[in-house]
Amino acid sequence: MSATGSSNPEYVNARVRSRRAALFKEEDYRKLVRMGTGEIARYMEETEYEAEMNDLGARYSGVDLIEFALNRNLAKHFEDMLEWADGELHALIANYLRKFDAWNAKTAIRGVYSGTSPDDIESDFIRAGEFDDQLLNSLANAGSIEEIVELLDGTIFEEGLELAFEEFEEQSVLVPLENAIDKTFYEHLLDDVNMVTLNQYSPKGLYVEVLQAEIDFRNIRNALRLSRTGTELDPEEYYIDGGKLFKEGQLRQLVGSFDDLVEYIRDSSYGEELSAGLAELESAQSLSAFEQALDAALLEYSDTLSHSHPVSICSALSYILAKEREIENVRAIARGREVGLSVEEIEEELVVI
Amino acid sequence: MIEPLSVVLSTGGGLAPQSAAAIAVGLAALATGYAQRGIGSAAVGAVAEDSDNLVSGLIFTAIPETLIIIAFVTIFIVG
Repeated sequence: MSATGSSNPEYVNARVRSRRAALFKEEDYRKLVRMGTGEIARYMEETEYEAEMNDLGARYSGVDLIEFALNRNLAKHFEDMLEWADGELHALIANYLRKFDAWNAKTAIRGVYSGTSPDDIESDFIRAGEFDDQLLNSLANAGSIEEIVELLDGTIFEEGLELAFEEFEEQSVLVPLENAIDKTFYEHLLDDVNMVTLNQYSPKGLYVEVLQAEIDFRNIRNALRLSRTGTELDPEEYYIDGGKLFKEGQLRQLVGSFDDLVEYIRDSSYGEELSAGLAELESAQSLSAFEQALDAALLEYSDTLSHSHPVSICSALSYILAKEREIENVRAIARGREVGLSVEEIEEELVVI
Repeated sequence: MIEPLSVVLSTGGGLAPQSAAAIAVGLAALATGYAQRGIGSAAVGAVAEDSDNLVSGLIFTAIPETLIIIAFVTIFIVG
């Protein structure tokens, strides 16, 4: 309920575990990939998503309905978690859910840039972060990107955005702004953790390890993409601090050669878990398959932790990751079916553990 | 000051058996409470999600009661 008092992981764990059991399983996905968008919507109506489907069913249809229902359901569950959690647990969950503040800020920037109507922007928001309705409302109604940057003064994004805005004004592309937002989010993930006194083997230490893995994977992903496309962009601009795998300044030299980069990842502590993905990356040259492998590895690791340390933040984190995955999976299925991808092609895009 | 001290000394320099049993029961009660704190909050969480969990939640919450029941035996041993 608030960040004061002591943590209540037992309570949060019990509730989260029960909700985890309600997530879609492999056989649900197997059914979903063979359905049309209308059928998917009907299927979702009989599950977890009933309330959202009924609420939004009159206003939207098809893929939009599915997508908005997914977003709203996600926001509902994550808000619930913040409501249950107390003390340090609350602070850690809130820190992670700033991800949706980043999402909302980016949505607003993109929307205003492309001249979308405030209503449309607002319906794309995921109301799960720290931003309150008033701020979101003014973000959606902002007349210019400068106004959005000003509105975000006083949030964690303030610092990075100001620099990025100057760059945006020179080049008028959105990339620097979006990068600044993502970077700020990841670099503030570990804010409430005192790294000096942290015991590596305590549940909290393991939680930090998951977050570091997430940062590392994000860096790996960026580095591989940059390396593959062979652009002139400076990899250091995309580097996110806080991980274990790369040091500042190291990326520039690694991105130059794709093979060296893959070798470096193979020799790292993640090498074993990612070996299957790496082999595929080398043989099939498919980046997206490797990126799915990264997601699956993170999911599996957090899942293992939530079983070995149930009375800690780990189970909440693993639920957040799993729920996010579910939303992305269902969205991929719905979008894929809409544009007429084959069942096999869609299945390749899914991350199921 | 001297009189209570002599009472203690006359009973062999330690606590009376009844007092020791009382402390044992008290500590066991604290331990039960501590164990039930965690189990209880988890049980309430589970029941809030799905009321079918009420029965198992109650059973698990009651399990630490065994601690205090066993400690209760000490009273009869010394009594």
